Amino acid sequence: MKTNYLLPNKYKTIGWILFIIGIVSGILFYASEYESEVLIVNVLSVYNGEPLFGESKSFFQIIENSIVDELITLAIIIGGLIVGFTKEKIEDEFIYKLRKDSLVWALIFNYAVLIFATIFIYDFAYFDVLVFNMFTPLVFFVFRFNFLKYKSQSHEE
Amino acid sequence: MKNSIKVQRAIHDMTQADLANHIGVSRQSINAIEKNKYVPSTVLALKIAKLFKKSVEDIFYLESNE
Repeated sequence: MKTNYLLPNKYKTIGWILFIIGIVSGILFYASEYESEVLIVNVLSVYNGEPLFGESKSFFQIIENSIVDELITLAIIIGGLIVGFTKEKIEDEFIYKLRKDSLVWALIFNYAVLIFATIFIYDFAYFDVLVFNMFTPLVFFVFRFNFLKYKSQSHEE
Repeated sequence: MKNSIKVQRAIHDMTQADLANHIGVSRQSINAIEKNKYVPSTVLALKIAKLFKKSVEDIFYLESNE
């Protein structure tokens, strides 16, 4: 099966490591209520300020920021992308179909959850929804694809 | 669509993994095809038939309601 968007199989391990580290540290970070005082560095902020709290907007400023959350976000997204879009050891039409179906279901599932959350979750709790929603499509996609792949491998009689 | 791959495998004394290796697909594919969960492409069907030295119709056939 020819595809032009898949990375070679050898990157899969790196992807899994990044993805798992990202998710575990993400959960820990969430449990600590997004507090972090480490890794504070100067970063370039293209867009800054929260009109919601009466701060004025600013563009292209150097600000101080703890980059822990940024690193976690990048680890989950990059790790997830690598895991989802590297070739299997044997890449064929059935695997290809599994991957495509999983993508479709991940998108449907994601927006179904988002619709539900939009109707029933309000105010600042909705911020949590937005944070989780950054990752749910990828996580669900990776989970479903690997689960089905594992399941259809099972025993012959 | 149904198929007789399992029977053919038994005749040729092949495991799912053997068959998968011979035609260059994953074992998952053979498993899914045998369980009628996946309809293979024409290319793959032709390869399987060629390996068993049968015609495609001998191995893959429609069900009565199709």
